[in-house]
Amino acid sequence: MFEHYLSAFASVLQPEIILVLCLGGLWGLLAGALPGISTSMGVVLLLPFTYTMSPLAAFTILVAAYCGGITGGSITSILFGIPGEPSSVPTVIEGHALAKQGHAAYALWVFLICSIGGGIFSVFVMMGATPIIANFALRFGPPEYFALTMLGLSVVSGLSGGSVLKGMIACLFGIFLATVGTDGISGQERFTFDTTILLGGISFVVAMVGLLAVSEIFIEAQEPFQAYKGGAKYHGMKGQLPKFAEFKRNWGTLIKSPIIGTIVGALPGAGATIASFLAYGEAARISKNPEKFGNGAVDGLMATESANNASTGGAMTILLSLGIPGSNTTAMLIAAFLIHGMQPGPLLLTTRPDIIYGIFVAMLMANIFLLGLTIFGIRVFLQLNRLPYSVFSAAIMILCVIGAFGLSNNMDDLFLMFGFGLLGYYMRKYGFPIAPAVLGLVLGDLAEASLRRSLLLSLGDPLILISRPISAILIAAAIFSIVYPLIRKPKALKDVSG
Amino acid sequence: MKKDELIANGVAVLFFGFMLLYSFRMQGVRRFGDMGSEFWPIMILSGALTLSIALLIGNFRKYRKEVKDGAASEFLSDEAALVLKQGRRKYWLSVICLLGYIIVMPWIGFILSTFIFVYAFILSLEERRKLVLAISPALVTALTVVVFGRFLNLPLPRGGEFLAALSRFIY
Repeated sequence: MFEHYLSAFASVLQPEIILVLCLGGLWGLLAGALPGISTSMGVVLLLPFTYTMSPLAAFTILVAAYCGGITGGSITSILFGIPGEPSSVPTVIEGHALAKQGHAAYALWVFLICSIGGGIFSVFVMMGATPIIANFALRFGPPEYFALTMLGLSVVSGLSGGSVLKGMIACLFGIFLATVGTDGISGQERFTFDTTILLGGISFVVAMVGLLAVSEIFIEAQEPFQAYKGGAKYHGMKGQLPKFAEFKRNWGTLIKSPIIGTIVGALPGAGATIASFLAYGEAARISKNPEKFGNGAVDGLMATESANNASTGGAMTILLSLGIPGSNTTAMLIAAFLIHGMQPGPLLLTTRPDIIYGIFVAMLMANIFLLGLTIFGIRVFLQLNRLPYSVFSAAIMILCVIGAFGLSNNMDDLFLMFGFGLLGYYMRKYGFPIAPAVLGLVLGDLAEASLRRSLLLSLGDPLILISRPISAILIAAAIFSIVYPLIRKPKALKDVSG
Repeated sequence: MKKDELIANGVAVLFFGFMLLYSFRMQGVRRFGDMGSEFWPIMILSGALTLSIALLIGNFRKYRKEVKDGAASEFLSDEAALVLKQGRRKYWLSVICLLGYIIVMPWIGFILSTFIFVYAFILSLEERRKLVLAISPALVTALTVVVFGRFLNLPLPRGGEFLAALSRFIY
């Protein structure tokens, strides 16, 4: 293992990889900082740049953008009171309150130190936990994989937003989309309607670009971005560096929050938003000054920032060890693995250790570099917020077109992307969440293939799925994960309007 | 609850229903123990159809209750109606711009189509500043061609004969 790390450090510390790491980090920070571009959209827009890169450079730029996106969401939260990401809402409450009191630089320092600290903590957890989980998962056969994908899909309630029912429909729609094309086992054409355009199936990237990015531009076109004019004053980062005693006083929060973030990040479907809210709530519970919460509580800011960045390591652990994405952004990374001819999962650690250990090191370096990139970039991001949104959205649309076209240099993919863009627009308009559909599309193929292989193994006996202990536990967990939110919130099914 | 939401639910029911019927027509070739290529889609589509019907019924009940209570009809002020109308117009224009861009790209090539697209798109988003309109199409096109065409060597569409020959000078 030690030699893998040495080799990974040697590879990542090459000038060209450092360059793509910085570019990815800056792009992620920008995507996170600009309202209207989410981290997942930032990552998906980067995909076309990676087509011709080496796998290590591709994953370096993508994970740097992922970490940068989570970090960047807090810049506009603190200075403008606009959450760049949903996970930054508690940062708006505490960070923006501090900024309005004239402590913008102080709040930015606290955010930066805690974000980077939380991120680095989770990377170390990822480095330790991924090989252990992956080694355990090597024992998995088709029934366990089917159960695992069911567990991955069962998080749909967590990704559904207002209506679980609509989330489930969206998820089933995503799984249905994964069945389109030539069946991998029998070779039969399914839902191709005798056209060649659908023969190879629906590409993740094309669907994701359409559903996530193109539909977002259509939405923004209808409701144009309004420049916020009530921002706090920012005079640079000098002179307001928090004292060590400030961190020492809140050591309990600083230890608990990254742990919460990493664990919640590892739960499929939970992600940075739940992590930051949970840590924020916990900080409020143990705070010596709970009355300060809502009016610029430093411990609240520390908690939310450490937790949301720590969620990246947790999510990546599950992705790299089991091949299961827990969020939109990690689903994009699955697409990147497939583009570069790799299937994420436990086998990858033995077949491509250079990539896995390279990702570990790239994430570590990304978190370290983000400190400098954020300080350097804050003024630039503030200026970019003043760019005409019309030009910005035109540029994003072109990136979408290149992303969909560049995958296989096929014009048909552009029409599919356009179709998915329209579909995503109407899904958003009528309250159907996009994330479960993306999750269904990514995991649907694996779920079907592992179910069919399991049944072939058992000569058609479905009991194989519950007669093996790991598979039985995972299926029970999946059922619990679907049923529990419905029991806990029976209103969810009634609340059909979303 | 708006009427168009009910229509959207209805479209979902029709879509899943049609696909389910279509999947029943698939005749899989299967080995012993294999559930066949049609089984999984049938299972998924049955679930999706059931849930869509549940959603439609739930929404219909809600709508009827709102009609009964007189809360269904939504009155918009003139100003709000105008904003809504403008929003819809911009949406449709942006959709047309993108579709046109995709259609003409193979004929006139990436450079010219991107230039026209950026101009038309920002115009459709009601950008009226002359400087932005003058600079951004050329700037965005040039940046994209340099990064993707020259730097990353992506085979961007070149267009017809003359335009293709011209594009070879650039990427």
